[in-house]
Formats: sequence, structure tokens, C-alpha cells
Amino acid sequence: MADLAFWMIVLLTIGGAAVVVLNKNLVYSAIALLFTFFGMAGLYVFLWADFLAGVQVMIYVGGILVLIIFGVMLTNRITSVNISHSSVQRGIGAVVVLGILSILVIMIYNTPWLQVEAVEPVQTVGKIGYLLMMDYLLPFEVASLLLLAALMGAAMLSRKSN
Amino acid sequence: MNNLQSLSYYWPEIILTVTILVAIIADLFYSDKDSGKTALWVLGGLILAQIAIYIQDSEIVTTLFMGNLAFDPFASFFKTLIVLATILVIFISQKSSELDGHRTGEYYSLMAIMVFGMFLMASAIDLIMLYLAIEIVSIVSFILAGYLKGDLRSNEAALKYVIYGAFSTGIMLFGMSIIFGLAGSTKFFAIQEAMWNLEGSAQFAFTLAAIFILAGFGYKISAVPFHFWTPDVYEGAPTPITAYLSVAPKAVGFAVIIRFFNTVFGDSGAFIDPSIYTFTTIAWPQLLAVLSVITMTLGNLVALQQNSIKRMLAYSSIAHAGYMLMAIPTLSSQGVYAIMLYLVMYLFMNLGAFFVVIYVKSQGGGESFDDFKGLGWKMPIVGIVMTVFMLSLTGIPPTAGFIGKFYIFASVIKVGPQMYWLAVVGAINSVISLYYYFRVVKVMFLEGEPSETIIVPSPTVLMILFALAIPTVFFGIYWAPIADWVSRSLTLFIKVI
Repeated sequence: MADLAFWMIVLLTIGGAAVVVLNKNLVYSAIALLFTFFGMAGLYVFLWADFLAGVQVMIYVGGILVLIIFGVMLTNRITSVNISHSSVQRGIGAVVVLGILSILVIMIYNTPWLQVEAVEPVQTVGKIGYLLMMDYLLPFEVASLLLLAALMGAAMLSRKSN
Repeated sequence: MNNLQSLSYYWPEIILTVTILVAIIADLFYSDKDSGKTALWVLGGLILAQIAIYIQDSEIVTTLFMGNLAFDPFASFFKTLIVLATILVIFISQKSSELDGHRTGEYYSLMAIMVFGMFLMASAIDLIMLYLAIEIVSIVSFILAGYLKGDLRSNEAALKYVIYGAFSTGIMLFGMSIIFGLAGSTKFFAIQEAMWNLEGSAQFAFTLAAIFILAGFGYKISAVPFHFWTPDVYEGAPTPITAYLSVAPKAVGFAVIIRFFNTVFGDSGAFIDPSIYTFTTIAWPQLLAVLSVITMTLGNLVALQQNSIKRMLAYSSIAHAGYMLMAIPTLSSQGVYAIMLYLVMYLFMNLGAFFVVIYVKSQGGGESFDDFKGLGWKMPIVGIVMTVFMLSLTGIPPTAGFIGKFYIFASVIKVGPQMYWLAVVGAINSVISLYYYFRVVKVMFLEGEPSETIIVPSPTVLMILFALAIPTVFFGIYWAPIADWVSRSLTLFIKVI
């Protein structure tokens, strides 16, 4: 049962991603992205990362995706112009992609990954909070400067006059 | 060291953070015309931060913030270099005609944020910290590259930069995730330890991860084949920003490469014991050697064909990244020493060359070779100074560029006959670069009409010109102070096992 659910979610994620890339209509691509993001949240659940799954839904589905769709809708003459571009040199692209894919698959199957012993699923929120306030306090604080820079840049670029 | 204790070693960054906030708030009170005065706040903050770096006890070598940052002379060296570059670029920006009519308050506050990001890059010893630091620098670079909103080329530069940046960061993160899957930690030293105990079958994954991560680092120093953004971004961005991007982020990019490869693949002590590198079958020194050859050759060959001096300088900066990369596969402290020395010399000569381009443009000229015709007669001082920078960039004695190149080649040759080919390729490339650097000199003095009137630059322009040209000549004759400083800074944090 769990296996079936897992493969359904994988199908949802990859299928969504394929539609995002292959569809020429920007609105369809944006909607397809929704399924990919949901699928990712599902994968996090399978890894027992409950907090991460919640954050994924809230930030990516609730925030970023809505923003993308707003951006698409507010752009002028969106329906008449095919903004989404079809790719060029598909043949070479396919060869390169398949090559990289096979290398990655070989790598993943032949590598002795670090194994963690299976434990009972526990809430991860407390642990993440502890890490953010102890081991990763500096990255946590520095992220605020990153956001400040991004905010200033967005304001600067969208301001009407110079 | 825990978070609270670390604060007392963190004064430069704290001063910088306060500077950023003060600059942003001060900017609110300036009218559009006076907005440029924000630069004064940023300048003051940078000087204070530099004083804080200077008075820090260089005897103490430790880690800060639970092993997120290293506190060592190596990091302090790069921080000083960044502050120096930023101060010079702030002065250069004042003289740029491209920024006229733009509100420049954000320009300078964003620059201060970028300095903060580069400080972190120079000292990060944790993958998450490193990623965040690179992201800060990248995002600010995107914004600054697109600062001239009305200019289509500037828009193109920003957009291309974002797309390439996102792509290479994605590849780098994938590599980091593979390393985390092997080592179970994001700290460089824990990864190093885990690598020692790895089974042979993990080598393949490790190699792949190293290549992926190199894509992210290579993008920052614009090494081929991750250089595609460089010419367009350098051409479209405001020229002071182009000058800045070609010096400061590149320098910390090298700091990151040295620290990462030194720690994760080696003994972490500035390549003190090369024999240690035989434990791994990964041919990463050879990989980097090939990368450096491709980088300098492509940079030089394409620079030959340019008609715009700005674009020529963009490709030449790719070539210079190639020269510096040459010294990394030597796996010796001499190699690291040579790179650090080269970066100091490169700072003055490259900023100088870009400043001349900015000045000529602000005087109603342009950026192409045609616009430089007869410049040596019209503005003799500028012409002579530009000749000095071109000589130095080629690496002709007695200029700083020669000393820089000399140390790089010496470190390569010292390794032994198996590296001679690399030195030969480097020498051939230097000869190629002679052609296009001297084309500038030829155009300035031998072409065009000798003009009747002579333009003498204003005192401030002269001051900046000489502040860049005098070190370029002086350090070519007497480089002991720089050499001393570099050798004092050659201490990296080593984990005591």
C-alpha cells in the first residue's frame, strides 16, 4: 500500500515537471507546477520530514506558486503571445540528458550511502528549531541580510522613475 | 567556539551590518540628487571594519559560531583585499557618467551587503554557510548588474546573470547533497574525516560531487566552461560594477576553491604535505589543470577579436582566472602564495584599466577601440597610465603583473617536469595577450590625429588614477611588503585531531 502511494506521488511529481517543461502555454505550466510542488511535499512525508512537508506546501504552493500565477495573469496580452519557448536542438539535448541520467543512476546504485538506522517517526519541529538556534544560528541570521538585499533589489527594479 | 563567545571575534562583520542599516536609513533622508552621499556612510563603515580587521589578534586561529566560520589570517587577508577593492570602486563610481541621473543610495548600500557576503565566503567552513554566502553575493551582483534600468543591455546583463547563476547554483547544491549523503555532515572537517574512511566504491560519487561543486565555484571565478555569462554581463553592467565583479567576487571565489579543496581533499593546511593527496584516486589536480588551460586559452583567443575595450577586458579577466587556476594543481603552499600575491597585483591593474575606460566614456568618448584613437595625444596622462596598466596586465617587467605571473610560473615549474607543459601553455598565452593589450597602446598613440588641445583630468580623477597606477609600478620594483603580508596570511585553520 505504501509502495503504491509512493509511486503515485513520484508519478505526480515527475509528470507535473514534464508538463511544466513541455507545455507551451505559460498558464498550464504554472498549474502543472502545483502538482510537482505537492508531490515534493509527499516525498518529504515519506522521509518522515513532517515539518518540511508542511513548509513546502505553505511556501511553495501557497506563496510562490500564487505569485507566479499572479505574475502570469498581470502580464500584458498573456493569452495572445506564446511566451513559453519551445526548445531548440532537441536531439543533442536528449543525448546529453540521457547521458547525465545514466551516469547519475549508476552513481546512485553503486555508492555505499551513509545509512541511518530506522527509528520511530518523531516530530522534527523541535530538532529543527534547536539546530537553527544553536548550530546554525549564524546562517539563520545571515539569511535576513539576504532577504533584505532581495527586497531592496525588487523595490529598486520595480520603482517607476530611476 | 559557541555563538556568544564568537561575537568578540566578529567585530568587522558587526560593524559592517550596522553600516548597512545606517546607510539604508540615511538614504531615506536624502533627496534623489543627494542620494549619492550614502557612499560616505558606507566608506566610513568600511574603514572602521578594516581597522577592526587590522587590530584583531592574528595569533588566534579558531572556528566561530559552532564551526560555521573559520577565523584565520587567510580569511583576514581576503577581507582586507575586499575592503580595499570596494573603497576603490566607490571612488571610481563617483566619476562614472553612467550612473548620472540615477538614485545611487541603494547602489552603495547593496555594495555593503555584497561585502558582507564576501566576508562570509572567505571564511565559511560549512556547506550551508558557504551556500548562503555565495547566494548573498550573487543576488546583489544580479541587482547591481541591472542597475541601469533604462538601458536594454543592462537589463539583458541582469537577466542572463540570474539564469546562469540559478543554474550553476542548482548544480552546486546537487553536488553538496551528494557529499552530505556520503559524509552525513555539512562541516568541511567532518567531511574530510568521513572521506578518509570511505570505501573505494564511493570514489565515483565523490568525484561527481566534486565536479558539480566546481561548477558553482567556477561560475564565480568565470572559469571556462562556466563563463558564458561573463562577456554579456561585463558589457551590460555599469562599468564600475564590471570592474568590481572582475576583482572582488573573483578573489573570494579563489579563496573558496582553495579552502574547500584544501580541506575536503587534503590536509587543510595550505597544502603543506602534498603526499597526503595520494589517498584518493580522484584526479582533481589534473582536472583543474585542464580547466585552467581551457580558461586562459579561450579567454585570450576571444579577447583578440573584440572591438569594444570593455568586452576585451571581460575576456582578459577570464584569461587571468586561468593563470591563477594554474597554481592550484601544484598542491603546494607556494601555489596558494602565488595566487594570493597575484590577486593583490591584479586588483590594482584591472581596476585601473576599467577606470580609464570609465573616464574616457565620461569625457564624451566611448568604449570601442575607435574611441581610443589618438587618446595618448589628447589626454597624455591618461594615455601613459593606461599604457602602464596594459604592460602590467600583459606581465612585462617592471610592473606588478610581472611579479604576479613570475610567482605563478615559478610555483608550477617547481613541481617538476610533469607540470612543464602547463607553464609552456601559460607562457604562450601571455604572448597572445601581448597582442590585444598592445593594440590599445597602438591605437592610443599611433592612430588618429594628434590633437591641438590637451585635456588634463580633474584633481580627483588624477588622484584615483595615481592611486591605482603607482602601486602597479611600485610593487613591480619593490614587492617585499606584499610578499610579507601574503606569507603572514598563509595560515589556514587546521582541525586539531
